[in-house]
Amino acid sequence: MARARRLDRSSDNPYPHGEQVEFQYEGRPMLGQAGEPLAVALLAGGVRIFGRSIKYHRPRSPFCLHGHCSGCLLRVDGLPNVRSCRTALRAGMQVERQLGWPGSGRDLFRTLDWVYGERLDHHSLLTSSGTLARMAMGFVRKMAGFGHPPTAEPGPPAPKRRMSVPAVVIGAGLAGLHAAVELGQAGHRVVVLEAEELAGGRLCDASCKLAGATGWAARRELLSRLSALPGVELRLGTPALAVYGDQAVLQVLAAGPDETLALEPQRLVVATGAYAPLPQFEDNDLPGVLGPRALDRLVCGHGVLPGEPVLIAGDAQETLELAAALVERGIALAGLVTDRPEPELPAQLRTAKVPRVAGHRILRARGGRWVQRVELAPAGRETPDLVLDCGLVAAEAPAAPAFELAHHAGCRVVFRSALGHLVQTDAEGHTSHGQVLAAGHCAGAGSAEEARLQGQRAGLACALGLKDEPGLRQRLAALKA
Amino acid sequence: MGKTIVCQCEDVTQGDLEDAFEQGFRDLESLKRYTGLATGLCQGKCCIAHAARFLAALKGGDEAAADPPRTRPLLQPTPISCFAGPEELSASPASREGQK
Ligand code: FES
Repeated sequence: MARARRLDRSSDNPYPHGEQVEFQYEGRPMLGQAGEPLAVALLAGGVRIFGRSIKYHRPRSPFCLHGHCSGCLLRVDGLPNVRSCRTALRAGMQVERQLGWPGSGRDLFRTLDWVYGERLDHHSLLTSSGTLARMAMGFVRKMAGFGHPPTAEPGPPAPKRRMSVPAVVIGAGLAGLHAAVELGQAGHRVVVLEAEELAGGRLCDASCKLAGATGWAARRELLSRLSALPGVELRLGTPALAVYGDQAVLQVLAAGPDETLALEPQRLVVATGAYAPLPQFEDNDLPGVLGPRALDRLVCGHGVLPGEPVLIAGDAQETLELAAALVERGIALAGLVTDRPEPELPAQLRTAKVPRVAGHRILRARGGRWVQRVELAPAGRETPDLVLDCGLVAAEAPAAPAFELAHHAGCRVVFRSALGHLVQTDAEGHTSHGQVLAAGHCAGAGSAEEARLQGQRAGLACALGLKDEPGLRQRLAALKA
Repeated sequence: MGKTIVCQCEDVTQGDLEDAFEQGFRDLESLKRYTGLATGLCQGKCCIAHAARFLAALKGGDEAAADPPRTRPLLQPTPISCFAGPEELSASPASREGQK
């Protein structure tokens, strides 16, 4: 297995790039780049196992790198359960792993996973006698759970700011930014809440292509248009936490870097995107198996390659573009598992002779502490006929739209097998809640193009809801045609 | 090993889902309560979709998963200090002017 390495970064890369700093990992000094996510610095430093899972003590490692899973939890400066993919590296940080005995690296409790190879049914575990059950409970309490109580002093209380604004947009991704541009152009004040430190959502992905341009170029252009609009206030690092939609006034609660916001908008556009679920195959949680967008961010964005060659699996255009982006960077591919026909692949993949595996699916991942190979079987079969050695895997899984915040507000959420649970909207983005609109991947958009269009429509419809104007009406009608 | 993990936070496997279904837990809310799926740190961001597709496939239709379990604030773990501060009625530029 190749060691982790850092790649050269191109000048148009939107991810910040700081100077080298030293921090402490499990009592040892380690180097990373200031401002990059702690998880990225650790992966670059060769760390493979970040922690242990709650029940079977299986190794855990970052999976999503977008703050949605639980693969990257660490104890940082005395605080347990810190998401290291959402924590910027600072000099002198004290970082520890938090679960396992004697430690997370080598964990004796891991044997549980092997003893209960099928499954451990905790509903019937040692319940035959009361005494036994109590002893078992005590033991389980010791070995399970997430970390230990904090030793760090609690942070200073954040001041809470209550603001009435005409419009709030949640999510500064493709749909959210386009909605904000429309609102700003129509002359409305709008606060855009973005959980990450970097605006752009999918536009930050090297695999994103929008109307022929790269996502990175489209992002620059969009952000410069946005900053020229005086009414638009973009708040980064400010996750929306809740929406209260059943009160007299609509309320959005968000936690900023140094203040908590209680926003009272007349109209709300939810553009929260979608999450990456685990792809479904045996040992899908093995470290080194990532979601495609996580791999994109880690390798193309931060320029950190923890293992090689890379296996890519999926049929989405973005997944193919990710494979192409890796080839462009001179990274070896173990294979591309896709059912898309050869002529539909990006040109780089056809010329570089990337082994393409069609009609197969991943059956299981193999490796002890990090993925080492993947077994594949023909569709409908349960025995593998192909084994590919690899040091990193990105596998697509069916979408999981981020419907929660709209659901808080009481918006109707529907389920479609192909798309997941999504916020139900009409063609203009109106949800079942009169003041709430939704756009982009949380409302079922499947591509970047579609997310952009939905964002524009919802932005216009939102502006019209605030103030009727024939010009906007015409523009919206044109976008719907 | 040899487990297919559905919910990474609570170590719920595909086998757990199948067993729960067999025992009669055949809607999302009951599956969640019985298996512990979607009750961990991420609160179902990655696993509810899997469970919904599992139900839809076995019960033959999207209606089987129509209602996601109730989602409650907060969306992500948040330090209590975020809510411990005094309230300021804002005079920030984006605040009062927009309201008529
Ligand atoms: S939450 Fe950090 S890797 Fe998923």
